[in-house]
Amino acid sequence: MTDLLFSCLLKDSPMCPITVNGVEHQVPARLSVAAALLYLGNLAIRKHPVSSEARAPFCYMGVCFECLVIIDGQHKQRACLREVMPHMCIETAMVGVNP
Amino acid sequence: MSKVYDYLVIGAGPAGMAAAIEASNAGLCVLVLDQAENAGGQIYRNLGQVGIQQARVLGPDYLVGKPLLAEFMAANCDYQPMAQLWHIEAHEKGFLVVALVHGESITYVTSHLLLANGAMERPMAIPGWHKPGVMTAGAGQILLKTAALLPKQVVLAGSGPLLLLLAQQYRAAGVIITALLDTTPKSNYWYATPWLMAGLTTPKQLLKGLWLTLVQRIKTPYITGVSGIEVLGEECVTGVSYTVAGKVYDIDCNLIMLHQGLIPETQMGQLLGCTQVWSENQQCWQARVAVAGQTSVPGLQIAGDAGTIGGAYVAQFNGRLAGIVRANSGVATLSLQKRLLTLWLCLRVKQLHWARGLVDRLYRPADWLSEPSSDTIICRCEQVTAGAVTAIASRGCAGVNQLKAYTRAGMGACQGRQCGLNLAYLVAHAQQRPVSEVEPLTVRPPLSPINLGQLSRQTEL
Repeated sequence: MTDLLFSCLLKDSPMCPITVNGVEHQVPARLSVAAALLYLGNLAIRKHPVSSEARAPFCYMGVCFECLVIIDGQHKQRACLREVMPHMCIETAMVGVNP
Repeated sequence: MSKVYDYLVIGAGPAGMAAAIEASNAGLCVLVLDQAENAGGQIYRNLGQVGIQQARVLGPDYLVGKPLLAEFMAANCDYQPMAQLWHIEAHEKGFLVVALVHGESITYVTSHLLLANGAMERPMAIPGWHKPGVMTAGAGQILLKTAALLPKQVVLAGSGPLLLLLAQQYRAAGVIITALLDTTPKSNYWYATPWLMAGLTTPKQLLKGLWLTLVQRIKTPYITGVSGIEVLGEECVTGVSYTVAGKVYDIDCNLIMLHQGLIPETQMGQLLGCTQVWSENQQCWQARVAVAGQTSVPGLQIAGDAGTIGGAYVAQFNGRLAGIVRANSGVATLSLQKRLLTLWLCLRVKQLHWARGLVDRLYRPADWLSEPSSDTIICRCEQVTAGAVTAIASRGCAGVNQLKAYTRAGMGACQGRQCGLNLAYLVAHAQQRPVSEVEPLTVRPPLSPINLGQLSRQTEL
């Protein structure tokens, strides 16, 4: 995570605590879950169920379904359509089950 | 007994907001369903919340949406954000619209329906486009609008106004653009020349476009006549290779953003049995739509980019027109003032669609993009390659819907949104027939994923 592809213009925006794969992080409030994952340096967030290749969100607008994650236990959530909430629990499928 | 709305509008972009304003001002009971957290659509996404730094980078054409957004927020209509629509069907009272709201499935009933759900980016299937590190230019812009996330360095590739606009915004924010690979075929400039007349009717936009192009050509490493783009890298992107005048070049990069223009999101209209036509100008399927949004299905209107790609201004005019016409069931009962407004809106919509012809012809996708190499993944969800599709298509497969049964292409979570158009091109090439003769993929519910628990708890509003 040392080589972040993206950096955030927002400097002093309020932060929101979220849990990603069991680890707690602080991200700027009001980000989409997909953007928050990218902010934290997670580009690939899924292993493709057919090929097991790493995949990353592609469109960030709800069309491509590449950003499916588990949010608070709910499977197949499009990470790009959900805003982060305090203590939201996000599981990506880079390890473990596929959403 | 459930509540029956007079007008249900899907999408809170410029078209949906304008239609909802007009219809609710006329006293109709209006509901707007939108899948985003905030109104504005993709073009004015996050406009109500955006910070000063982002606003500076995004420029005046983004901020121009503020009055419309304010007017919509003040309008006397119901507005449900974060509604993920998964089914629509015709019903004795009009239409049933079923959406997931906060994880629960809710059915809405309406007598009249407006689809203003906008457009998506034309899927640009090139070898390696499924690798982490590749995203669309629209994605880049959404990350900027909603999260103020900026890449340090990026390669932009493709064709079309959005790519140039993103380059401009990124440069303003200090992002290093390693290269802008322009795939616009040089012949397009000749073919587009007759359309200059149309473009000249919107001189301000024409000048803006020219300026945007010139500035990028001077200030970014702008490479024209690019073909054969291929994404390099094992797990993630490590570079991109491309061909110019028969010579292959490689660049190192770990982020590439693709764009090849926009296509309407037609799935909802298709589900309702709306007549679809192939647009030669815009190279995509579109619902057959009249100027005020009327479709082949009684009570169903489509406005804005969900019908014909035209951009934010025409979408707004189109939406207003649709709302006025719905509220007055035609124009017979309108006051003189409203009649003149309707006439003016009709003319503006027609004119702006005509003027758009210049952009459509100039940025028509290059032919090589519709004939990808055989190892290119076409259906990202089911991991089906162009080679597999072509092999089945050349053996006489009837069309994309039969192809689906043989290859699973189009059966994944995105429901053919990312592969449908490219499948049609591949079938057309393999069978040497025009793409307009290849029927689009059949659309079936659910339009977005829903689990059995949600389905069983279904409630009516």
